[in-house]
Amino acid sequence: MPEAPIVVEELSKRFRIYHQRSETLKQALVDRRRSRYEEFWAVRDAQFEVPEGETFGIIGANGSGKSTLLKCIAGILVPDRGRVSVRGRLASLLEVGAGFHPDYSGRENIFLNGAILGLPRRYINSVLDEIIGFAELEQFIDNPVRNYSSGMYTRLGFSIAIHMDPDVLLIDEVLAVGDEAFQRRCMDHIDSMRQEGRTLVFVSHAAETVRNLCDRCLWLEHGRERMLGPTGEVVDGYLEDVNLREMAALSSSGHAATGPGWMGVRITSVTVTGGAGHEGLTSTGESLRVKIGYEAPSGLRRARFRVSFHPAEGPELASVQTDDREMDERLLPSRGEVALEIPELPFLDGVYGTKVEIEDIASGRAYVTLDRPQSFRVHGPGRREQGVALVGHQWVLPALDPSAVSA
Amino acid sequence: MATTDALREGAFPSRPRAPQSGPWARHLELLWELVRRDVRARYRGSVLGIGWTLLNPLVFMLVYALVFGSLLKVQGPSGKPYLVFLLSGLLAWTFFQQALVMAASSIIANAGVVRKVAFPWMLLTVSTVTAALVNFLISLVLLVPFLIASHSPVGLPLLALPGLIVVTFGLCLGLGLMLAAGSVYFRDLQYIINLATMVWFYLTPVIWPLSRYQGFFGHGKLGVLAHVIVYANPMTWVVVSFQDIFVFNRWPQHWHGLIYTTLLAAALIWFGVLVFRRLRRRFAEEI
Repeated sequence: MPEAPIVVEELSKRFRIYHQRSETLKQALVDRRRSRYEEFWAVRDAQFEVPEGETFGIIGANGSGKSTLLKCIAGILVPDRGRVSVRGRLASLLEVGAGFHPDYSGRENIFLNGAILGLPRRYINSVLDEIIGFAELEQFIDNPVRNYSSGMYTRLGFSIAIHMDPDVLLIDEVLAVGDEAFQRRCMDHIDSMRQEGRTLVFVSHAAETVRNLCDRCLWLEHGRERMLGPTGEVVDGYLEDVNLREMAALSSSGHAATGPGWMGVRITSVTVTGGAGHEGLTSTGESLRVKIGYEAPSGLRRARFRVSFHPAEGPELASVQTDDREMDERLLPSRGEVALEIPELPFLDGVYGTKVEIEDIASGRAYVTLDRPQSFRVHGPGRREQGVALVGHQWVLPALDPSAVSA
Repeated sequence: MATTDALREGAFPSRPRAPQSGPWARHLELLWELVRRDVRARYRGSVLGIGWTLLNPLVFMLVYALVFGSLLKVQGPSGKPYLVFLLSGLLAWTFFQQALVMAASSIIANAGVVRKVAFPWMLLTVSTVTAALVNFLISLVLLVPFLIASHSPVGLPLLALPGLIVVTFGLCLGLGLMLAAGSVYFRDLQYIINLATMVWFYLTPVIWPLSRYQGFFGHGKLGVLAHVIVYANPMTWVVVSFQDIFVFNRWPQHWHGLIYTTLLAAALIWFGVLVFRRLRRRFAEEI
C-alpha cells in the first residue's frame, strides 16, 4: 500500500518575533546583542495523514496555526521539527491569489504558474481557454495583473490551480473573496474534484463551509491539535467552543448596570433567563425573560423601554419596545423592575447579545442606554435549519409511487 | 465549457491527466519562462525597448572615452584603438555588474511568489543572471561597428569566447546566489553591492590596460595591496581575455589567471548553492 498523499509527522514550526528587527546590516553589526528575538511555536506536534481522495479540513481561530501548517504542507515553510511529505502534483491557493507577477499579464502569469507546477507549455496551451473562461477574464487577460481587482486576482488564481490537474489541492480561505456566483462555481468544482478522487486540504474558520466540504477535520488551537476526527464531531466541538468564548466575551465586554443618565435615570441590573431557569441559556422555541432593574429619582413617567437583540457580530436582529399608549398613563416608581417575556424564542443556534434602552416617549430622548449587558446562548434544534431565525415550515413531497419504491 | 461539465459528472478517469515533466525538463522549462519574463519585464513599457541594452554601455563608453581618453590622456595598448579596448572590457564588466545587482534583488523582488508557491527558488536567481547574460550577448553587437571602423580583424580566437562567457556566468551565479539569499535577511546588501561594484570597477583593467597597473598605486604598502587585489580580482582575467580576443585578435594570454578564475567560479557556485540552501529555509518568513 503506497504512502498517503499527505503525511504529516510530529510537525512543529517555530517563528521568530523580533523585538528590534535588524533588517539592515548596520543594525546587525552594531546591535548584535540587542537584535534578540523571541521564539514561539506556531504549530506544535501536528500529526495526521490524508488518504487519497479525502477532503481534509483544518479549522481554528485566527492565529491558531492553520495557515502555517498549510504552508508547511505546501513546502513554502520548512518545519523545525518533524516531517511532511506530499505525493503527487500539488497546487495551492494561499490567501488571495497565487504567486503572480504584477507586471505580467494574466496570460503570462498562467504560463509562469504552469511552469512552476511543472506542466509542459503545450498542456497549458490546451487548457488556456478553459482557465480564462472559468476566471471570467476574457477581456482583461492581456492586462498586467497589477490592474486587477482582488476578485479578478482570486478568480484567476483559483482557475489556474484547479486546471493544473493537481493530485493534491490546498485551499486557504480564498473562497471568502469573490462574488457569490463565483464562490458557488468554485464549490461545484471542488465537489467534482472530490468525486474524481483528488486529495484536498481546506483551511477555514468558516465552520459551515468546512462541514459541507470535508470528510475529516483537524481543529487547531494555539498551534496544537485540539481535536481530529470526522468533520461533524470536530465542527460541533469547535462551534460549541466558539460560542462559549463569544458568550464570555460578550458578557465581559458589557456592564450589567449604568451610571445615572438624563434625569438621573439608571439601569441597575439586566438578567436574561432561559426557559429552564438557567441564566444566559435557552433553546430555540423556548421562552426567554429579560429583567431590567432601574432607578429614577423622580419616578418614570411616559417612558419607553426597548430591548434589542443582535448576534455577536452583525446588525440588530429584532427589537421590541413597550406600548406607548399604555406607558403614557403610567407612573413607574422610582425604583423597580420591568421584564420582557418572549414565550417562544425564534432564534437559532448561536450566541446573541442584548441592548436595553429607556427613553422619553414625547421627545424620544434617551434616559439611559445599556449595550451588551448580557448575552445568551441559544441551542438550535438541529441542522436542517440554518440562519438566525426559525421559520415555521412544512415540506410537501410527491405522493408515494409504489412502482418507484420497488425499483 | 464541455470539459468542465464532463468533470462535474465525475468523468475524471476518462479525461487524460496532464503530463508531468521530469525534474530536469521541469526546471529547464521554468527557467525558460523566468528568463523570458526577466528579459521582457526589463524593457516593458519603455519606448526604446531593447535599445537600452545598447545605449547604456555606449554612453558609458563615450563618457569614459571623453574623460579618460581625451581629458586625462589615458592610453590603451600601443597601436590599438582605445574605443575598442574600452568597449570590449566595458561590455564584459557591465554583464558582471548588472548580473550581481539584479541577482541581489532576485528573491526579494519575487516576494509575492516566494511567499505563496514552493518551487526551486534558486531558479529565480539563475534566471536573473541568465537574463543579464542575454542582455550581454545582445550588447556584443555594439562591438561590430567599432571593429569595422578601426579595421580591427577578429578571427579564430573568437572560439574562446563561449568558454570565457561560461566562466563569467559562473562567477556571477556564485556571487549572485549568495547576494540573493543574503539580501532576504539583510536588505542593505542590495545597496552595498551597488557601491562595491563601483569601487571594483576601478580595480579591474577596463580603462587602463593591465600593464599600466604596475606601480599604478605607488610602491608603498597600499600600492602593493591594490596591486594584489587587481591580480586576485577574477574579473581582471575575464576583462583582459576579452581584450585579447577583440583588441589583439589573439587567444587569451593569461592562462594562469584564467585557470584561477575558472576554479574560483566553480568554488563560488559550490559555496553559493550551499549558502542559498542554508538560508532559503526561512525565506518565506523573513521576506
